[in-house]
Amino acid sequence: MKMAVLVKQVPATENIKIDPVTGVMQRDNLQSELNPLDTYAVEQAVRMKKNFQQSTVTAVSMGIPAAQSILRQAIAMGCDEGVLLSDRAFAGSDTWATAHVLAKGLQKLGGFDIIFAGERATDGETGQVGPCVAVQLNIPVLTFVSEVKIEEDGKILATRSVEGGYELVRVSSPVLISVVKEINEPWIPDYNGMMKSRSASIKIMTAQDIGVDKADCGLEGSPTRVSKVFYPKLTRNGEVFSDSDPEKAAQKIVDFLKEKNIL
Amino acid sequence: MKEYSKITSENIKKLRDICTDNAVIYEDDSALQAYSHDEAGGSFYAHMPQAVVKPCSSEQVSQIVRFAAAQNIPLTPRGAGSGLAGACVPLYGGIVLSLERMNRILEIDTQNMVAVVEPGVVTNDLCKKAQEKGLYYAGYPMSVHSSFIGGNVATNAGGSKVIKYGNTSHHVLGLEVVLPDGSIVQYGGKRRKDSSGYDMVHLFIGSEGTLGVITKIFLNLVPLAGMTVDLMVPFESVAKAIASIEPVIRSSSVLPSAVEFLDGTSVKYSCSYNNMELPFMQEAQAYMIVQFEAENSEQIQTLYEKAGKLFLDMGALNVYIADNRNNSEKIWRIRRNWLESLKAIDPNVPTGDVVVPISEIPAMVEYIKAVGKKYEVDIPVAGHAADGNLHPAPLNNGSSCEQWREVSEKILSEIALKACELGGAVSGEHGIGFIKKNLLSITKKNQIESMLKIKKSFDPNNIMNPGKLYEY
Repeated sequence: MKMAVLVKQVPATENIKIDPVTGVMQRDNLQSELNPLDTYAVEQAVRMKKNFQQSTVTAVSMGIPAAQSILRQAIAMGCDEGVLLSDRAFAGSDTWATAHVLAKGLQKLGGFDIIFAGERATDGETGQVGPCVAVQLNIPVLTFVSEVKIEEDGKILATRSVEGGYELVRVSSPVLISVVKEINEPWIPDYNGMMKSRSASIKIMTAQDIGVDKADCGLEGSPTRVSKVFYPKLTRNGEVFSDSDPEKAAQKIVDFLKEKNIL
Repeated sequence: MKEYSKITSENIKKLRDICTDNAVIYEDDSALQAYSHDEAGGSFYAHMPQAVVKPCSSEQVSQIVRFAAAQNIPLTPRGAGSGLAGACVPLYGGIVLSLERMNRILEIDTQNMVAVVEPGVVTNDLCKKAQEKGLYYAGYPMSVHSSFIGGNVATNAGGSKVIKYGNTSHHVLGLEVVLPDGSIVQYGGKRRKDSSGYDMVHLFIGSEGTLGVITKIFLNLVPLAGMTVDLMVPFESVAKAIASIEPVIRSSSVLPSAVEFLDGTSVKYSCSYNNMELPFMQEAQAYMIVQFEAENSEQIQTLYEKAGKLFLDMGALNVYIADNRNNSEKIWRIRRNWLESLKAIDPNVPTGDVVVPISEIPAMVEYIKAVGKKYEVDIPVAGHAADGNLHPAPLNNGSSCEQWREVSEKILSEIALKACELGGAVSGEHGIGFIKKNLLSITKKNQIESMLKIKKSFDPNNIMNPGKLYEY
């Protein structure tokens, strides 16, 4: 069985800041990491690989050259190889253009039975890229999958976590499966995995290599435009009254409440 | 035993004059109950205070201490109540002096690399504040998210970073203390050296509130490490795990920032609590967690490569390497939630705190298991391997509360005395409180005499935290 896992490099922080003028994420001095939700997809592919002889797992990402580090992390977890789709022309791609680049890359690499993806990325939070890749490859997509089994006839039986319960879906390959956290508990790479990942060579493919027209990627190829980025307006404002003397602080609060006609 | 005065409503009026009405709890059993115990054995060792007073300044502390001394009322200083030896339990009732409102980080002095804090600052809050300035507070008890700095100082708390940075006493440069006569004195300060006279700062560290009330603390900060890597290493035997420590440390040429140990039983309980599964949970009798700090990823790679290979050569079942925050958290969650996982089974689980030379850890663990067998109880063990500091935690096998208190005390006493026999001590980092004072009197008889002389000179009326450390 030939499997691919789509992975993304995201900022290693909970406090993402957006430049209010340009609308672009401020990445200066930010460390990056493998999108935590993608680790479940990697783990699932690696576990399935162990159950099927002669199966392979290829981790695929679109990103800047530094994104090689997350492909190495995927290799440390058990993937066989990493492929980075990297080209200046890809910069600024929206979800459609990103999916287009990934779909072209997967087509070029060829012949995947199952393509795994995480539920969504922790930076963009759209959850669109995985399903959009499936659409562009014209293969079925199963989202919110919490269990995958391969049946004797080679069909794939997937459990989808849906509102109010579970949905069992039987499907033939090729298929794209985006997984939820409940599917497994990814464990930490071991020594051999880490050593293998350090010496692995990451295959880098450009727009030309995968046959992507520059008009179909990057800012130019993105039908979505970010016209404005803003922080939600707070409808309530807090005010802190502080004073080293608690009585004075309390008096300030009393005065405030009186001013508002509450006391 | 000394007789103390009972608190009267007149006394309460005076205390409320000192630090406002809301800062005094009196005649409210449900509110007072929260101050009757620490984390040791839950209600086993609880004693109700007559009143709780929560000052917000050194001056208020001073007035309270003067008042208590004049009225012959015992005073028990209290931090977060996260201690494990009963040090903040008011054995003789009286006043619990809670430092919870003195919780300001007064200064992060980047030029001198010093933090000045009040005693009620939560340890992790200081860590985060220092981190914002590119600095690091290296005192790191396992209760880092709840313990107060004041409590850490009063018990000379340890934690997982002691191997590299030392215990709390290594970080304290100065203290402001309210003495039992009410005077406010500062020992030390922002300076790193002081050879003028007795080292008074270190006399107060670990004194468990018996000599005075700590009201301000000057702490050493160090540059923040650039990166860390954590290794989790299962072994089929404790002996093999412990035998690997020295070669790994020696070959790494830098000190690890943590070398932690959990026995197989502990890992099972903690994993069940955390809803996790680890590799080798059936085979492994011991898991080590080792952390290294370095400036950049190249150094990190060199460190884990060298240590990982050595662990495998020393018989590790495998070596798992976490070089990012998500994987590191998975490892540390198992260690950090260890005690909570046991409390989920037995809310009153008592926690021992013995220290032995590193080489004696296998013998100590073997003895703990033998004691468990003798009393037919499960005794999970975790601890700080590179310090030889182990925490055995006997789990109640279904005995009644009173029976279990007796049995668990016997178990922990036998273990503690064995630790001394192996060249160790009855407490590594939790302190003595009142739960271990018998053990201290047996194992440090001569030293107690000197301690008592010091106590008498500071607190002749025995107002400060009576009944702790020794009988007086």
